[in-house]
Amino acid sequence: MGDIKRHRILMVSDFFYPNFGGVENHIYLLSQCLLKLGHKVVVMTHAYGNRSGVRYMTGGLKVYYVPWKPFLLQNTLPTFYGTLPIIRTVLIREQISLVHGHQAFSTLCHEALMHARTMGYKVVFTDHSLYGFADVGSIHMNKVLQFTLADVSQAICVSHTSKENTVLRSGLPPEKVYVIPNAVDTAMFKPAAERPSGNEIVIVVISRLVYRKGADLLVEVIPEVCRMYPNVRFIVGGDGPKRVRLEEMREKHSLQDRVEMLGAVPHARVRSVLISGHIFLNSSLTEAFCIAILEAASCGLLTVSTCVGGVPEVLPDDMIVLAEPDPTDMVQAIKKAISILPMIDPQDMHNRMKKLYDWHDVAKRTEIVYDRALKCSNQSLLERLSRYLACGAWAGKLFCLVMIIDFLLWRLLQLWKPAEDIEVVPDIVLSHDEDREILQDLQAFNKGHSLR
Amino acid sequence: MDNNVAENPSPTRAKWRKVAYGGMQPGFDDNHTDDSFLEGMVMNANVVKRDMLKVMQDSVSISQYLCIVVLVGLVWNYSLRSTLDETSLLYLDVSLLGSGFLVLLLTKEMLSVDLLLHYLLNVLFFTTGLYVLAPIYQTLTRSISSDSIWAVTVSLLILHLLLHDYSGSTVRAPGALKNPTLTSFISLNASVVASVFIASRLPSRLHVFAIMLFSLQVFLFAPLVTYCIKKYSFHLHLCFSFSLMAVTLAFVYTLHRLLLVLLLGLLVFVTVVCPYWLIRIQEYKFEINGPWDEAKLCFDITD
Repeated sequence: MGDIKRHRILMVSDFFYPNFGGVENHIYLLSQCLLKLGHKVVVMTHAYGNRSGVRYMTGGLKVYYVPWKPFLLQNTLPTFYGTLPIIRTVLIREQISLVHGHQAFSTLCHEALMHARTMGYKVVFTDHSLYGFADVGSIHMNKVLQFTLADVSQAICVSHTSKENTVLRSGLPPEKVYVIPNAVDTAMFKPAAERPSGNEIVIVVISRLVYRKGADLLVEVIPEVCRMYPNVRFIVGGDGPKRVRLEEMREKHSLQDRVEMLGAVPHARVRSVLISGHIFLNSSLTEAFCIAILEAASCGLLTVSTCVGGVPEVLPDDMIVLAEPDPTDMVQAIKKAISILPMIDPQDMHNRMKKLYDWHDVAKRTEIVYDRALKCSNQSLLERLSRYLACGAWAGKLFCLVMIIDFLLWRLLQLWKPAEDIEVVPDIVLSHDEDREILQDLQAFNKGHSLR
Repeated sequence: MDNNVAENPSPTRAKWRKVAYGGMQPGFDDNHTDDSFLEGMVMNANVVKRDMLKVMQDSVSISQYLCIVVLVGLVWNYSLRSTLDETSLLYLDVSLLGSGFLVLLLTKEMLSVDLLLHYLLNVLFFTTGLYVLAPIYQTLTRSISSDSIWAVTVSLLILHLLLHDYSGSTVRAPGALKNPTLTSFISLNASVVASVFIASRLPSRLHVFAIMLFSLQVFLFAPLVTYCIKKYSFHLHLCFSFSLMAVTLAFVYTLHRLLLVLLLGLLVFVTVVCPYWLIRIQEYKFEINGPWDEAKLCFDITD
């Protein structure tokens, strides 16, 4: 099964299975599709609870759960050089050719990319979120990103707005940034065989109930819509600090029978919640690329969303109704959605989504990025240092110092633990008979079952 | 599919669209940067253009308060050296209180007997409380050396100056716009503690009472009085500030030449150098806004 241009990729991030989320799903599904294309993919992340060591997932996907505990918001403690030995060992053992880091907020990703560059590997970075410029946290994060992206081979963003944001934050030339959006597993998110009948209209909301996802907008919008339309019902799935406000809103306007609060919905049950509704409401205040909207459209729901970040790029205009993040405007949008609802055919929408978004397409486009990355020239340490110096008057010199120390530590490691002493792992080749099993296992993963 | 195809018979490539669906756009790479790249970016939308003269006028409040604090320090110095005895201190206190009240009366639009009585009663309680507590203050720091006292006092005064709210008043005038902030409370407390430390070095109870009354009067009510003057008439505020600065410089000259030079240098720095510096570095201000910003809610969240 060996391709001529077979890549050997290491995906690094703090966010992976057993956590469920946008980045985690992206890494897993992208890795599976790359494995199908014949490349070798290894994932590296930190230990989750007792889950530490090497695990194998579907299709021969090897995951290294490096034995560090997360210390803040699922991130490992940033020790700068503490990760150098283990990353070097993994890179040599698996004979990696390219390192792919995910998510700017992941400290493990930044450290891995820094060490990979020191050791001469090609590096690709994918950014999944939007960040601001004005507050203290964002300023520091952007500086760290500038450091990592000063010497990256190629970068990927999930939407065009995200590309503009990343280019402004990191100072990368725009030609180095590729826009490859996420996709949705349409095989799992199928519409119901029959639409929920009756003259009741059900609006579904599934999101974390936090400020960032616009839970406060929901508190203003839901009573107004319930007042205007007596036949509209809401289903709210998800949990978070703002849940209390939503419960209070329910009590204040006596909407207990019209607003159903489901609490946290496990990923396996998201589809069953979605197909019980007609309209999907997304009220986030900022969103680089909203996968929830894709899942809803794949299940045949009409989407009403706030027009923020990358959301206008996600769906064609006839599948989504956009509104400003303002309660009156959102109520108008819901009104418009209810009026065009009879013209929507869920099965037709699902078929269109199958053509618009496909993980295999994403993997092919990512492969092109990998090919370009590997074609980049090898640069010596001195040439690379000039790129770091351009990062700022004080910061540039600090970054250069960090990279020089990293280089020296690497040389020391080479003397202490020579590369010849590290055993190389032989490749596992799976035959074609197991392809069907792989597809079933893929669906089983999405249903949240644990694998060996 | 969703691509627009040109009407020409010769196959020209379709226009690039800023969309994420539909896979790779035919004829364009994924890293294609269109001319519309960054067209939604808005720079420096909320930045205020500053005028040098206005900034200098605003900085007069800072130098005025600096002079007030220096005057308080001078009075402390004179009392500790017994140049000022208790009776003259008490006269000073009473005259300051009287003039403060006069200023408040003249500059407040709403004069009511009730408000005046309310203020007088508060001042009476305050003074009585201080008189009763004076013996405690006198023996408070008997076991601490003078050097420590001076060091702590100076650092507390510096903290007070750094964190002080120069635009308003911590002791709220009725009808003031915004609430005092945490830092202004911290600065007020620092000044009060500094006064207590200095007062505890004095020999007699009456001395302690007089100096405490003086310090607390100035630190608590001087910002309020200057705020009222500024609100009443800007010209009066400028005249008052310049006369205060002149008086301070005169007194410091009689004390020590070096201190005069330092104070003069500090005043020039605050009034001339800092505004110029601020306007110079405003050119580097680069505020970026665009479609990637988190949306701001237009309503208040009431919990």
